[in-house]
Amino acid sequence: MNSTPSVALSDVHLTLTAGSGPVNILNGVSLTVEQGETLAVVGPSGSGKTTMLMLMAGLEKPSSGTVRMAGADLTAMGEDELARFRRENLGIVFQAFHLIPTMTALENAALPLEFAHHPEARSLALEALEQVGLGRRAGHYPSQLSGGEQQRVALARAFAPRPRIILADEPTGNLDEDTGARVMELLFKMQAEETATLVMVTHDRNLAKRCGRTAVMHSGRMEER
Amino acid sequence: MSGRDWVVALTLCRRELRGGLRGFGVFLGCLFLGVLAISAVGSLGRALEAGLGADAKAILGGDVSVSLTSRDLSPDEADYLRGFGDLARTLSTRTMARANGASVLVELKGVDALYPLYGTMELEGDGDVQRLLAERDGLFGAVVDRDLLTRLGVRVGDEIDAGEARFQVRGVIVREPDRVMEFFSLGPRLMVGAEGFLATGLSQAGSLFRVEYLLRLTGRDVSRTVESIRSAYPDSGWRVRDFNRAAPRISTILDRLRTDLTLVGLGALLVGGLGIAGGVRGYLGGRLAHMAAMKCMGGPSRVLFASYLMQVLFLGGVGALAGMAGGSLVPWLAGRFFADILPIQAQGGLYPAPLIQAALFGLITTLAFSMPPLFRAVMVSPSGIFRGYIAADTGRMPRAAILPTAAAFAVLAAMVFQFAGDTKLAGWFVGGTVGAWLLFKGLARAIRWLAGKAPRLPWASWRIGVANIHRPGSPGVSLVFALGFGLTALVAVVMVNVSLTRALTAELAQEAPAFFFMDIRPDQVGDFRALVAGEPGVNRLDLRPMIRGRIVRIAGVPVENAAVSEEVSWAVRGDRGLSYSRDFPSGSTLLRGQWWNGDYDGPPLISLTSDLAEGFGVDLGDTLTVNVLGRNITGTISSIREVDWRTLAMQFAVIFSPGTLDRAPQTWLGAAYGQGGEDGLFARVTAAYPEVAVITIREVLDSAAMLMQRTARIFQVMAGVALLVGFLVLAGAFSADQHRRIYDSVIYKVCGATRRDILSILVAEFSLAGLFTGLGSLILGTLTAWGVVQGLLKMRFAPDLSTGLLTVLAGVGISLVMGLLGTWRVLGKKASPFLRNE
Repeated sequence: MNSTPSVALSDVHLTLTAGSGPVNILNGVSLTVEQGETLAVVGPSGSGKTTMLMLMAGLEKPSSGTVRMAGADLTAMGEDELARFRRENLGIVFQAFHLIPTMTALENAALPLEFAHHPEARSLALEALEQVGLGRRAGHYPSQLSGGEQQRVALARAFAPRPRIILADEPTGNLDEDTGARVMELLFKMQAEETATLVMVTHDRNLAKRCGRTAVMHSGRMEER
Repeated sequence: MSGRDWVVALTLCRRELRGGLRGFGVFLGCLFLGVLAISAVGSLGRALEAGLGADAKAILGGDVSVSLTSRDLSPDEADYLRGFGDLARTLSTRTMARANGASVLVELKGVDALYPLYGTMELEGDGDVQRLLAERDGLFGAVVDRDLLTRLGVRVGDEIDAGEARFQVRGVIVREPDRVMEFFSLGPRLMVGAEGFLATGLSQAGSLFRVEYLLRLTGRDVSRTVESIRSAYPDSGWRVRDFNRAAPRISTILDRLRTDLTLVGLGALLVGGLGIAGGVRGYLGGRLAHMAAMKCMGGPSRVLFASYLMQVLFLGGVGALAGMAGGSLVPWLAGRFFADILPIQAQGGLYPAPLIQAALFGLITTLAFSMPPLFRAVMVSPSGIFRGYIAADTGRMPRAAILPTAAAFAVLAAMVFQFAGDTKLAGWFVGGTVGAWLLFKGLARAIRWLAGKAPRLPWASWRIGVANIHRPGSPGVSLVFALGFGLTALVAVVMVNVSLTRALTAELAQEAPAFFFMDIRPDQVGDFRALVAGEPGVNRLDLRPMIRGRIVRIAGVPVENAAVSEEVSWAVRGDRGLSYSRDFPSGSTLLRGQWWNGDYDGPPLISLTSDLAEGFGVDLGDTLTVNVLGRNITGTISSIREVDWRTLAMQFAVIFSPGTLDRAPQTWLGAAYGQGGEDGLFARVTAAYPEVAVITIREVLDSAAMLMQRTARIFQVMAGVALLVGFLVLAGAFSADQHRRIYDSVIYKVCGATRRDILSILVAEFSLAGLFTGLGSLILGTLTAWGVVQGLLKMRFAPDLSTGLLTVLAGVGISLVMGLLGTWRVLGKKASPFLRNE
């Protein structure tokens, strides 16, 4: 096992200022996830799950504490360094897919590779689409795909650059049970093949059970089961 | 649709409008500017026309004017005219005014004791013109333009010479009631009394002077008086006009200017149509879910269509009303703030006709451009809306929208034809608009196609930027339309202006004579030739006799009844210069017939220029009758010459064979060519021949170029309005696209794009689109300018490379600035709020 943890959050606080005064979103979250591990984060709405995921993605900055991902301290990085870090290390899957509607499935899947100036961006993206069973739909726009297909394109986009860490925010939240199950099969299969670290926010207890560890968030604090 | 459906539609319309006009900024802005431009031009035109009408008697100088050249009326003729009412007389010519060793070409005018019959003469310090012009202590008085004082270095009270007379400057002119429009003037005014004018010796028979008799009728009908005068002296060679045609040339110019400017304004409105369509699309886009819900609840598409059409028309009415209100203020503002630069006093007031016309243009444009998005919106399937992604607007027109949209545009085209009055011009405008639309549409398609086919660029950001251009709904493509028209109009105006200015100041100056000399007496010709030809720098001197005469019959038909084309109507409008010659004139080419022998002594023959022959519809063997000092002379056309008038060489349209006009009172005209020594030549000629008027061609050309630039500026303002509307349309397109670009940028960031990457994508997308727009505008604008200069003005077209380069740079620059301005904020936006689940 690699000695550097894949995810290492240490006493992370996040306070946002709202109209009625400061609101503590995260209250001293500490967490370590090793390379290749799978972690489910569960908890009620508003408990800070998605915020924690955003911190791990470098899309939010903590008020205090450190966020180290793949050995790199995200809190010390500027915006462009974070962008470069993401394209080299992270794959992100959202509940609402977040594809670019004016780009085809292939173009969407190739985006992170394009930004990383990968010479084989399109062929790797096509490979990833074939992996998720959408090789023949590569030229379709998101509006021409079903919800499950759109999420599979999002999976292809997340896995195409072969990232070390996958962050997934309610990846089945917008899908029906069967489609959701098929997408999750794919997610876990790809994660296993790449031995990537997976941190997944979910409300689905069965899904959580499939992960190696489960952490529970409550009012900005974390407990591990 | 039943009556109840209409009620439902109206109710829905009212409810939707409760939200106010938010989100309609661009829609209203485009409509306002377009309608404002058209109504402002129309209102100002009407106000000037009204001013012209109100001051017509002052502008003409009387109820009826009888003018003649190079001779005065006989006492009998004058008595005849005096029988109709008060009769005033003015005399005018061009000559040199001299003082302190300097000479300046002036427009000399002599007025009698009744001047002015109508209107008032405004002088600095409110002096009385008659008192100032009167002879005092043997010295005549004069009032002058301030410019003359500066150029001669004299002040009020000093003395100046003109011809053989000396005058004391006693006042400075502010405004002459009968001097309406200084479109083109060869020199400042020197006004003296009639006696003073006669004392100059410049009104001898044959000299180039003009006499105008002005009548203030006492209870007589104007038209009947004109008829009586014409029939009493049918062969007099007089030009008789009444005040209704006080300034026909100015009326024509104003009318033409109004039409042309309105068409540019209409072009701006049509560009604004894109903003209108964008506004409607954006507004309806935000209401697709409402429509879908209403459809689910059983709302029929036609009711929804009617309801939203009413909203669009209501908003169109608001925009058009605002434009009308702005336009209606223009006559008042022009009269108050721009009275000095306007040719005629604009008559303040409300002119409903042009305002209503502009509003109608606005409303029909709104209707034409709103149809496609309206149809598209009501035809969207409710199920599509609930899928999460609404299919990007492909811009394809629904089949049902084709007919109503075409009908609205047809009405617009019909209105253009009706408004312009000139079928050819309207045809050019409509054809040009359709052509421009096709060109820009083709260009937009070409850009998309090229972007789709572009080879894979090695830089990811540029690759994505180029790919963005060919994506559905790309704002880069709307750039082509929005900026294209305005830039095209600007290129055309600037190129026409540059071509004309260059032709006038550079090219013509090379070919044209350096000086023209007027009013050389026949007995001075020999000495004059010796003096000028001996001057250093002069390499050619043309001297020709000129006799003033008026064409009265063409092929035996009185000129009033002859079919004379508009292009050469100037030749029969009044007196023209005629000449006679033994030798074939240099600078012309013999097209048909034969030039007479040097010793020809037979019946009068005429050599006519080809443009007049064509315009009069005559050829070899036909006759022309001219009236010279009251005597009709008929000659047979024996040759047709071609003359290039553009060289400004001294040329005569009608040249008689020798023996016919030789003994008629005449003066000679001269043209000296050459370079260097101009100042010396000017000084020596003006000193030796004080009564000879010397026209410096450089000054004439400069004055013409200045006039051209002034006119061009008006058109530039209108083209600027079109460009401003283009900006608005662009701003609308970008603002409608803002949400999408923020979203795209967030996803780019998630996928690892740095801010530089995102900026590069935008730079690639907009600079390429801007480059193509600039190039398209350059091509179309240059073609338009070429058509105007070469086809309409018959001058040499000189494309201007720097303008071309500037246009392309402007296209790229503007689109980049617009694109980046709208996106700069996006770069700093936090990504997380956009990524959270709702």
